[in-house]
Amino acid sequence: MIKKFQNLNITWGTALRYIAGIIVVIYLLWRILQTTSIQGSYGPDTWMRFLITGLVIGGIYSLIAIGYTLVYGILFMINFAHGEVMMLGTFAGYFVLEAFAAISAPGSGNQNMSLLNTYPVAALVITFFVGASVSALIGYLLEKIAYRPLRGAQRLIPLISAIGASIFLQNAAQLLFGPQRRQYTNPDILWRGTGWMIPVGDKSVMLTYTGTFSFILSMLLMAGLLILVKKTRLGKSMRAVAENKQAAALMGIDVDAVISKTFIISGFLAGAAGVMWGIHNGLFNHYVGFIPGIKAFTAAVLGGVGNIPGAMVGGMLLGLLESLGPAILGIDFQLKDVIAFTILILVLIFRPSGLLGETLKEDKV
Amino acid sequence: MKFKNFVILMIVLLVSLSACAPEPIEEPTTVEEEQTDEPVGPVEEVDGLPQACLDDAFGCAVIPQGETIKIGMGAPLLGDYSMFGTDISQGVSLALQLDDGFEGWTYELVAEDTGGAPEAGAAVANKMVTDPTVVAIAGHIFSGSTEAAMPIYEKAGLPMMSPSATEPGLTAQGSKVFNRLAFTDADQGMFAANLLFNELGFTKIAVMHDGGSYGQGLADVVQAEFEALGGEVVAYEAVTPGEADYVAPLSAVASAGPEAVYFGGYAAEAIVMMNQWSQAGLDDALFFGCDGTYGVEFTDKTGVNGEGAIAVSLVPPDSEEKSAFDQQYAEQFGVEAGELSAFSWSSFDTGGVLIAAIEKVAFVEGDNLFVPRGALVEAVRNSDYVGLTGLVKCDEVGECNASGPTFYQVVDGVWLPLE
Repeated sequence: MIKKFQNLNITWGTALRYIAGIIVVIYLLWRILQTTSIQGSYGPDTWMRFLITGLVIGGIYSLIAIGYTLVYGILFMINFAHGEVMMLGTFAGYFVLEAFAAISAPGSGNQNMSLLNTYPVAALVITFFVGASVSALIGYLLEKIAYRPLRGAQRLIPLISAIGASIFLQNAAQLLFGPQRRQYTNPDILWRGTGWMIPVGDKSVMLTYTGTFSFILSMLLMAGLLILVKKTRLGKSMRAVAENKQAAALMGIDVDAVISKTFIISGFLAGAAGVMWGIHNGLFNHYVGFIPGIKAFTAAVLGGVGNIPGAMVGGMLLGLLESLGPAILGIDFQLKDVIAFTILILVLIFRPSGLLGETLKEDKV
Repeated sequence: MKFKNFVILMIVLLVSLSACAPEPIEEPTTVEEEQTDEPVGPVEEVDGLPQACLDDAFGCAVIPQGETIKIGMGAPLLGDYSMFGTDISQGVSLALQLDDGFEGWTYELVAEDTGGAPEAGAAVANKMVTDPTVVAIAGHIFSGSTEAAMPIYEKAGLPMMSPSATEPGLTAQGSKVFNRLAFTDADQGMFAANLLFNELGFTKIAVMHDGGSYGQGLADVVQAEFEALGGEVVAYEAVTPGEADYVAPLSAVASAGPEAVYFGGYAAEAIVMMNQWSQAGLDDALFFGCDGTYGVEFTDKTGVNGEGAIAVSLVPPDSEEKSAFDQQYAEQFGVEAGELSAFSWSSFDTGGVLIAAIEKVAFVEGDNLFVPRGALVEAVRNSDYVGLTGLVKCDEVGECNASGPTFYQVVDGVWLPLE
């Protein structure tokens, strides 16, 4: 009897959720119809700007979201210190660029010509490499110090440890580097606020160099990651560990080493995203990782946590939702997070495993 | 093995990087608190009080020879907001020191710590009213602390002149003793809307804010006032503070084609907005900020993008008196005026206004200096004084900043007073 009642109860809950979800979807569609057909307040150039903004920020979200997904896929824990890993990459890239800008180019004879503007490509490559490597190292150490000792513990315990690590890293960065806002010094070829002017209608829209650069680089890094996971031996062992740790160990895979390398890869991508953030947006301080961290976590859940293409899609979608959403619905831009999280809730109602996520078996969850 | 080499390489990189880390900024030097160390002597019973004191509703402050005329202050001298209290107490005490005194009596500032808290404000006020040689109050500094202290000073007949309490409601309570040099946010918004419409000749503006009570309050005043003057507010948009990408909201504003964009908020957001100005297609629009967006950080971090932006500041326009003050301030306290807070100049004026009022009503009889308290309250309210920040003339509720805020514009990377 009790069992029957419980079953009924669950059905009611599910039905209520679905009804609520459907009402929200209908309301959103109605708003969209209303604002786009009746008001039509934005010209095509404005829509273009929204789109560009969304794609650039989406690329950065995707890179960070991959870090959450990789770690979740293998350890089934949310690495809440991931945003701070990105933040340290932003700082590392900043100091490299500052060093390049401070040294005047040898042999040029011109004091104003810094190393940064004489060899901008080399400077950028080194900046990205150092930024990403520092984050990779932090990711590696984080796993070694904060998570590995808790490997066998209950699921909640490494989560608390992750939150602690996040607070620790944030405050350590504040103590080390000071609380003031800093600004990236870009090489002249990649100066913020400059770009190609694309004519749209009778207006022209700026496609910034930094934005284009960030977008292409994030695409390349994601392609590289997919190849690594699908084609290489390391990728194969990562997938094996994600599938079943005991079986993987029995097959001769060093599970600890694979987990370490996973943290290094996710840290590397977060560091690259951090440097991109600095180059594209400029302003940052020790809090820079917090909001992108939360957003990327959302993106990972949206796409299906544990699923790498899902994180990419989720990040892009979240970036686009944030910039296009308020305009489509005709509401205040301050409410963009409300839209993003409403969509997240809708996805979780209709597809609890995320857009591209697979339903996990009982023993994995 | 290879992997270990990689890790070692990265450790070396990290160590070399941390060597590049800049030194943390030094804390601002703490102020030597001016405390009343000398015990307050027992009030000497004066037998035959002068007629003026007997007539006065609050009686007289009787200051024997050898004592100083004291001006009280409740200020956050310690804790998170100490830079405000330190700066303001320094500004006021400099004004008192530079004055040559009245008939042989000199002035002294008695600054007590409130930490900025209302309760402490009341406690300081209770302490001040027990000292018979305290004749006036320069402060308090924060609005909450001021509000708590007002009724206590009201009962004792101690006039107040605050350089910094901006909460608009303070002067709406019908207090006779409270006056302020600070302009309220409402005043600032009115002056800004007026400048935009009448002086700069804009008819279509957009209004943006950061959603905070300060920023949105300003934005709402500007919107209402600009529309009342006959202008049109074509877009009204809020941004989320703390973000690094405002292209989307700025583009939405740009599509309405404003001639200028008013922004109520702080420098952090204004800098991001300014750097994305042309990306959003706002090249033809003027950026008009508030006193939250003014500062060196804005010009430093916007560079050429910030050219032409307008903001508001408490910093008075350059004058001979101002440079003389700046020099004395730096010599005496080892920090530049305006470095700790923007109130250095208005606190100097606060000291000046109070001295002028005291000298109007005080008189000497025998060995004592008499300051009729009720008359002093009125004298402060009737101030007509020209200081560094311009004309100080109070209206009937105690708003004394008659010359309004000073508007500044970025020209060649420097804030210059707007012509």
